[in-house]
Amino acid sequence: MACHIPRLVSLLKKKHFLCCISAVALKRMLNFNAPPLKNTAAEPVWKVLIYDRFGQDIISPLLSVKELRDMGITLHLLLHSDRDPIPDVPAIYFVMPTEENIDRICQDLRNQLYESYYLNFISAISRSKLEDIASAALAANAVTQVTKVFDQYLNFITLEDDMFILCHQNKELISYHAINRADIQDTDMEAIMDTIVDSLFCFFVTLGAVPIIRCPRGNAAEMVAVKLDKKLRENLRDARNSLFTGDSMTAGQFSFQRPLFVLVDRNVDMATPLHHTWTYQALIHDVLDFHLNRVVMEEGMGAEPSAGARPKKKSRKTYDLTAADKFWQKHKGSPFPEVAESVQEELDTYRAQEDEVKRLKSIMGLEGEDEGAISMLSDNTAKLTSAVSSLPELLEKKRLIDLHTNVATAVLDHIKSRKLDVYFEFEEKLMSKSTLDKSLLDIISDPDAGTPEDKMRLFLIYYITAQQAPSESDLEQYKKALLDAVCDLSPLNYIKQWKAFTKMAATPANYGNSGVKPMGLFSRVMNTGSQFVMEGVKNLVLKQHNLPVTRILDNLMEMKSHPETDDYRYFDPKMLRGSESSIPRNKNPFQEAIVFVVGGGNYIEYQNLVDYTKSKQGKKIVYGCSELFNASQFIKQLSQLGQK
Amino acid sequence: MAVDITLLFKASVKTVKTRNKAIGIGFDSTKDEIFKRSRPKSGFSPRAKEVITNITKLKDFLLQHRKDYVSAGSLISSDLSRMTDNDRDQIDQDAQIFMRTCSEAIKQLRNEAEKQVISAQIKEHRGAVLDLIETYLKGVCKLYSEQRAIRVKRMFEQENQRLISEMNSLVDEVRQIEGKVVEISRLQEIFAEKVLQQEAEIDNIHQLVVGATENVKEGNEDIREAIKNNAGFRVWILFFLVMCSFSLLFLDWYDS
Repeated sequence: MACHIPRLVSLLKKKHFLCCISAVALKRMLNFNAPPLKNTAAEPVWKVLIYDRFGQDIISPLLSVKELRDMGITLHLLLHSDRDPIPDVPAIYFVMPTEENIDRICQDLRNQLYESYYLNFISAISRSKLEDIASAALAANAVTQVTKVFDQYLNFITLEDDMFILCHQNKELISYHAINRADIQDTDMEAIMDTIVDSLFCFFVTLGAVPIIRCPRGNAAEMVAVKLDKKLRENLRDARNSLFTGDSMTAGQFSFQRPLFVLVDRNVDMATPLHHTWTYQALIHDVLDFHLNRVVMEEGMGAEPSAGARPKKKSRKTYDLTAADKFWQKHKGSPFPEVAESVQEELDTYRAQEDEVKRLKSIMGLEGEDEGAISMLSDNTAKLTSAVSSLPELLEKKRLIDLHTNVATAVLDHIKSRKLDVYFEFEEKLMSKSTLDKSLLDIISDPDAGTPEDKMRLFLIYYITAQQAPSESDLEQYKKALLDAVCDLSPLNYIKQWKAFTKMAATPANYGNSGVKPMGLFSRVMNTGSQFVMEGVKNLVLKQHNLPVTRILDNLMEMKSHPETDDYRYFDPKMLRGSESSIPRNKNPFQEAIVFVVGGGNYIEYQNLVDYTKSKQGKKIVYGCSELFNASQFIKQLSQLGQK
Repeated sequence: MAVDITLLFKASVKTVKTRNKAIGIGFDSTKDEIFKRSRPKSGFSPRAKEVITNITKLKDFLLQHRKDYVSAGSLISSDLSRMTDNDRDQIDQDAQIFMRTCSEAIKQLRNEAEKQVISAQIKEHRGAVLDLIETYLKGVCKLYSEQRAIRVKRMFEQENQRLISEMNSLVDEVRQIEGKVVEISRLQEIFAEKVLQQEAEIDNIHQLVVGATENVKEGNEDIREAIKNNAGFRVWILFFLVMCSFSLLFLDWYDS
């Protein structure tokens, strides 16, 4: 185990952080839990990978099918599918230790499906379930075949270098709705908290650090913090089985300082999940079908076809947006017009390179005919070899450009048809309390602008960010306009309750002074040949501002005093006495932090944190949430809550 | 980090065993083990593993002799480690034959796997296994081709060196010749100059000679004239004398 420590430390120094740690852990597991050899052209060892849906969600953002193949995985199958016996192959299992999974594993053992079994459980398996497997193995006389059993502590999904979510399957069990519904029982809440804490515990085990926990008082986040603190404390006290001891992980791994773990509840900021957005990744999540770094689109899809048109046959295309896609990594946080421009630039560079290769090809074809060509040959041989070797790169580049062209075109269609730029601008103004140049009623009553959901979102943001509640008559007016626009008003009921509740609590969330400067009403029309003609779409420039979550993090990380965060609780699992004090012992600003939103998060918050990190040198911030939803999913949850 | 609970599992197995013994359930372990041992010997997997071991042998062989193969061979190193070009060609040939046999074996396995009636999953698995073996073979072939590229490159380098030294010596010779030619041309220039000078003088002489010839001619003429004159005068003198003599004689006679 100790041999991989220097490598991990050097990995941490790189920019890529969480992805690397999780991917390294997965790769070790897939190499039969031995450190992978760096030997080029090592003998291939083949194996079969069996996972359940949880395992699949964990693996798919980190390793592509090709990478699995390169590691020797010949088949990857779902646990609960029909699997044929392949008697001369070792099988690696990566599953959650649930009842049905254990039953299925026992069944596999009885049916003698594979030669040897390497069982890896995503979170820790209980002793009794282990005994179930043991007895099944004994019955099938397969005890020697069960070669290794591991607890992987990987019960979370890493989406980006600095972002993770808890789960994708069964996320309604720990959704915002599940936590905040009125008819929730104590036992239900306990179960939800246990699930969340288990995943967070796995996260910290994988990270190899014991954090300092800060959380607000009086909500779900506090419950999670208390439970997590208790769990970490118990584990640290248990000297024999502690997962945080010095030789299994490097104590000084985190630059001699422990990370800060900030737990917040979704209720601290309800406007951001409803907000319309303008950055690329967040737009894709809002407007298209985007899960686990995968976009599913129908070709020829865009705005809804008009009512009378016959829907033409649409084919579904799936695109993976991965860490290897340099364009994506560079532009996922950029404002959309910039993205459109960059795609055009990339296309032009690609065409230039393609022409270069073609020219070289034609020159080589003139061998012996042209005096000039012959003298150029020697110079071009080197160019040609480099062109040939860069051909797969070029093809890959083309594929990515096509991918982004399609995706961006689909997004642009949505923007144009729903006038999302108008909504974005208006909401930014609402959230920063600047003066509005249009009335809310106008936008709601405008039949061309946006779907009913968009209008509802806008109105909810208005309601949430208003200093004083609108008067009854105004409210009736708005309600009528919304009903005319075919909106569902049940989310409003819930938001009213929420607003009343938060008014009793601390000061309402302040969205900071943002500013949105439109760069002229009609953005410059792109030159001919461009596919992204954005006339009529405002070219809005985002000014940097901090969302509530970012502000909270800033206060806590930099040890600033602020009424909002001053009475946050403080937990340090490493301290001997369970101290309940709110006085932080540490006076220095933190260098690493993890922000976790209980109740759900979205890409807008993530992007805001990323921008904040960029402005601070040398700080690492990881964003996590219990589930990832876009605005329409969140509105559905709010409707359900409002209908009760 | 992952926690190895294999020992815990083994402990659980023991617990279950003792528990079952206590309850009275036993398991017939011996029969199944013998049954398990009789696995098909010429199945897909052993053959695939065989191909892999062969490829590994090739790889080890190539790596073992790599240093010698690639070494430039200085004058100081002993002759034992130096490889002749013949050896190298031999290695190349052997490696190529080997690689060809391996890829044939892989193709054969693939065809057989296609023909066999087995489930889709096993087919996919075997296809993927063969792909892995092929990738491995390609990796080893790459080792070989890199080695060979270095050798061929060195060969070209040597030839380059040789050509360069040849060209250098040619250049020297040409320079020498150039010097000589320059020398010759200079001398020729002087020669031409002198010749020109002499031409002038010769012209002069020619003129003089022509003049002299003329003078001599005229002199000859004059001398001929003179001789003629002389002869004529002589004749008159002679006549006069003769006449005088005759007159004398006459006078003499007259007188007598």
